[in-house]
Amino acid sequence: MISGIFHSTYEKDMALRRTHAQKIRLVLIVIFILVFPFLANRYYLTLANQVGIAVIGAIGLNILVGYTGQISLGQGGFMAVGAYTAGILTARMGMPWWASTIVACFATALVGTVFGIPSLRLKGLYLAIATLAAQEIILWAVKNWDALTGGVDALVVPNPELFGIRMNTDFNFYWLVWILVVIVTIASVNLFRTHFGRAFIAIRDQDIAASVMGVDLFKYKLLAFAVSSFLVGLAGALTAHYRSIVTWERFTVDVSVTYLAMIIIGGLGSITGSYLGATFMTLLPVVLTNLGRAVKTSFPVIDSIIPFVQQGMFGLVIILFLILEPEGLNKIWKNIKDYFRLWPFSY
Amino acid sequence: MSRKIKSVFFVLVIASLVLTACGGGGGGSEDATPIKVGAIFDLTGATGDVGTPYSEGVKGYVEWLNAKGGVEGHPIELVSADYAYKVDVAEQLYSQYVSEGVVAFMGWGTGDTEALRTKIAEDKIPFMSASYSAALLDMTAAPYNFLIGTSYSDQAIIAVRWAIDDWAAKGNSDKPKVALIHHNSPFGQSPVEDAKAFAEANGAEFMSLPMPAGVTDFVAELAQMQTFGANYVIVHTVSSPAAVLLKDAKSQGFGAQFICLNWCADEILVNLAGDAAEGVMGALPFAPPTSPVPGHEAAAEFLQGQGKTLEAATLHYTQGWWTMATMVEGIRRVLADGKEVNGENIRAALETIQNFSTGDVTTAISFSATSHKGNNALKLFQVEGGKWTEVSDFISAE
Repeated sequence: MISGIFHSTYEKDMALRRTHAQKIRLVLIVIFILVFPFLANRYYLTLANQVGIAVIGAIGLNILVGYTGQISLGQGGFMAVGAYTAGILTARMGMPWWASTIVACFATALVGTVFGIPSLRLKGLYLAIATLAAQEIILWAVKNWDALTGGVDALVVPNPELFGIRMNTDFNFYWLVWILVVIVTIASVNLFRTHFGRAFIAIRDQDIAASVMGVDLFKYKLLAFAVSSFLVGLAGALTAHYRSIVTWERFTVDVSVTYLAMIIIGGLGSITGSYLGATFMTLLPVVLTNLGRAVKTSFPVIDSIIPFVQQGMFGLVIILFLILEPEGLNKIWKNIKDYFRLWPFSY
Repeated sequence: MSRKIKSVFFVLVIASLVLTACGGGGGGSEDATPIKVGAIFDLTGATGDVGTPYSEGVKGYVEWLNAKGGVEGHPIELVSADYAYKVDVAEQLYSQYVSEGVVAFMGWGTGDTEALRTKIAEDKIPFMSASYSAALLDMTAAPYNFLIGTSYSDQAIIAVRWAIDDWAAKGNSDKPKVALIHHNSPFGQSPVEDAKAFAEANGAEFMSLPMPAGVTDFVAELAQMQTFGANYVIVHTVSSPAAVLLKDAKSQGFGAQFICLNWCADEILVNLAGDAAEGVMGALPFAPPTSPVPGHEAAAEFLQGQGKTLEAATLHYTQGWWTMATMVEGIRRVLADGKEVNGENIRAALETIQNFSTGDVTTAISFSATSHKGNNALKLFQVEGGKWTEVSDFISAE
C-alpha cells in the first residue's frame, strides 16, 4: 500500500524523474511529439508551433516571476526586442537566421538586465509598474526609432533556410521549435538543481533571509532577469523567423498580460505549469471558436451573439479555474496523480 | 447484443447508406459544388464598432447571391469567425481555413493584412481587406493583395488637392497650410509621406503629427496645429478619437477646415461629435447609404426583406458588400472560362477586371497584372444637418 512518495537517498531526492509513472509518461509524450506532425494537417501544426513558442516564452517568464518572485509586465516588450533584433540582423545585414536568433537571445538578455536594475529597490506592485514602463519604452522605441526598426511599418524577414531546407514551413518549423522547447525544458529543470536556481527560489521565498544566508541579491536578481529575458528573446526571434514578418502590433501590453495569465493559470514556479498554461491559453480561444462554429451550423439564429459569448466564456473559464484551484493547472494535475496513486484509500 | 438492438442497428445502417447515396446523386447531377471563401472579422476587438457592419455586408452579399442561385450555379460558402483584432488568432483562423480548402480570403485590418501577406503569397490565396495601405500595392511584396478602396495615400492626396483648390477659390494668394493628424500606427502613418510630397510639390505648406493613444483630449495637438497656422486639417484615424478632436476643436475655437479620410468619415463620427461634426469634409471611397446611387439598391432591398434598412446598416455595410462582390466577380470569371477554381486562377481573373461597375458606390474598379490598385478616385462629402452630403464628383489622385 502506497501512502505517498518517500525517498531514502539524496540521489533519489534529487532525481528529475522519481517514479516509474513519470518515466512512462515522458516516453509517451516524446512519442506523441514525434508522431504528431505526420498525422496533423497544417492547421494543427500552426497551433502546435504557436504553443511551442508560447511554452518557451512562458518558461522564460516563469523563471522570473514564478521562481524568483520578480513580477514582470514587460514580456511583450522583451519579445519585441528578440523579434526585431533577429529580424533586423537577418533582413538588413544578411546574417543567417540561426546566428541572428542567438544574437537576439543575448541582446534581449542584456536589455532585460538593464530594465531589471530597478528590481533591487522595487518589489511587488511597484516592480510591476516599473516593468510596465519597460514594455512601453521598448514599444515606443520600436515605433519611433525609424532608422533602426523601420518605424511602424512591418519588417519583412527572409525565409530561414538550413542546408537548403526552408525552416518556416509549418512542418519543418515544428521540429525546430519543439527541439528548442526540449532543450529549454532540460536546461531550466536543471537550472533549479544548481546553486543559481536555489538562490532564485530563496529570493522569492524571503529575500532578507536569502541575503543573510549570503545570496547576493543584486547579482541574482539581475541574473534572473537575464536568464528569463534570454528565453523570452528566443520566443520573440522564433516568431520573427516563423511568420517572416515583424510588426509592433504583435507585442503590445496584451501579450504581457496573456503570458502572465499563462503562468498564473498553469502554476507559478513550475515548468510543467508553464507547459499547461501556455497550451491552455493558446488553445482555449481555438476550442471556443470551433465550438461556436459547430453551434452556428445547428442554430444559425444565435450567430451574431456567439463572438460575445466566446469572449465571456474565455474570462469565465479563467476565473473558475483560479477560484477552484488557485495554484493552477499544475496543482490540478498533481491532485489527479495523487488520487490515482493513493486510490482507493486516499486521506 | 439483443435482437431488438440488432434490428434497430440494421435499419440505421440501411438508412444512412440510402441517405448517402441520395446526397451523392443530388450533388453530381447539377455540379453545384460550393466555392469556399474564408473570412476573418473584428466583432469584439478594438475596431469592432466598424468591423461588425462590414462583416454583415460581406455575409449579406453572400446570402443575397446564394438566394439568387450563386455564382454560375455554384453557391459561395463563407467560413468566417471573429478574430478580435488579434494577429495570432488571425493566423490560426487563416491556416485553419486554408487547410479546409478556401480559394480566396477576406481580411480586415492593417495588423492581420500585414502579418498574413507573406503567407498568402506563398499559398496563392487572393486577399481583400479593408486596409487600404499603399504598402500593399507593392507587387513583389504583396502579389496576392487587392485593394478595393482608394488607398490612404490617394485619399490624402485628393484631400490636399481639394484644399489647395478651395484655398485659391476663396481668393487667397498665399500658400495654404495643411496639417495631417493621424493614428499612431502603420495604418495612420501610411499616407504621410505621399501627402507631404504632393502638398510640397503643389504649393502648400505641410505638417504631420501623430495622435497619442489613450489620451482624453487633443488640446496639445490642436495647439501645435494652431502655431503652424493650419488652414486645413486632414484627419486619418478611426471615428471615436476623431470625434474627440472635433469637439475639442469646437470648444477651443479652432477655425480650420477638417477633412476626414475614410475610417473617420462615417455615421459613427456624426453620432459621437454631434454639432462639432457640422461642415466637416469626408473622403469617402464608398458612397454612404444617404447618397442615392444604383449600387445601393440590391443591398437595400435585401435588408428590407429582413426588416432592416441600409441607413441603419451604415456605409461600412456597403463597403463589405462591394468588396465581396468584387472578389465574387473574379471567381465568376474563372468559372465562365471553365477553369479550375483556385487562388492562382482567381488572381489572374481579377487582373482582367476593367471598369467593373459598383453602381457608383465607388468609381469603376480596374486591376491589371502590374497593379492591384482598384481605384484612385473618390467623391468628397460634407456633413450637413447630421448627414454626409455629396459635394463633388469623382476626384482622381492623379
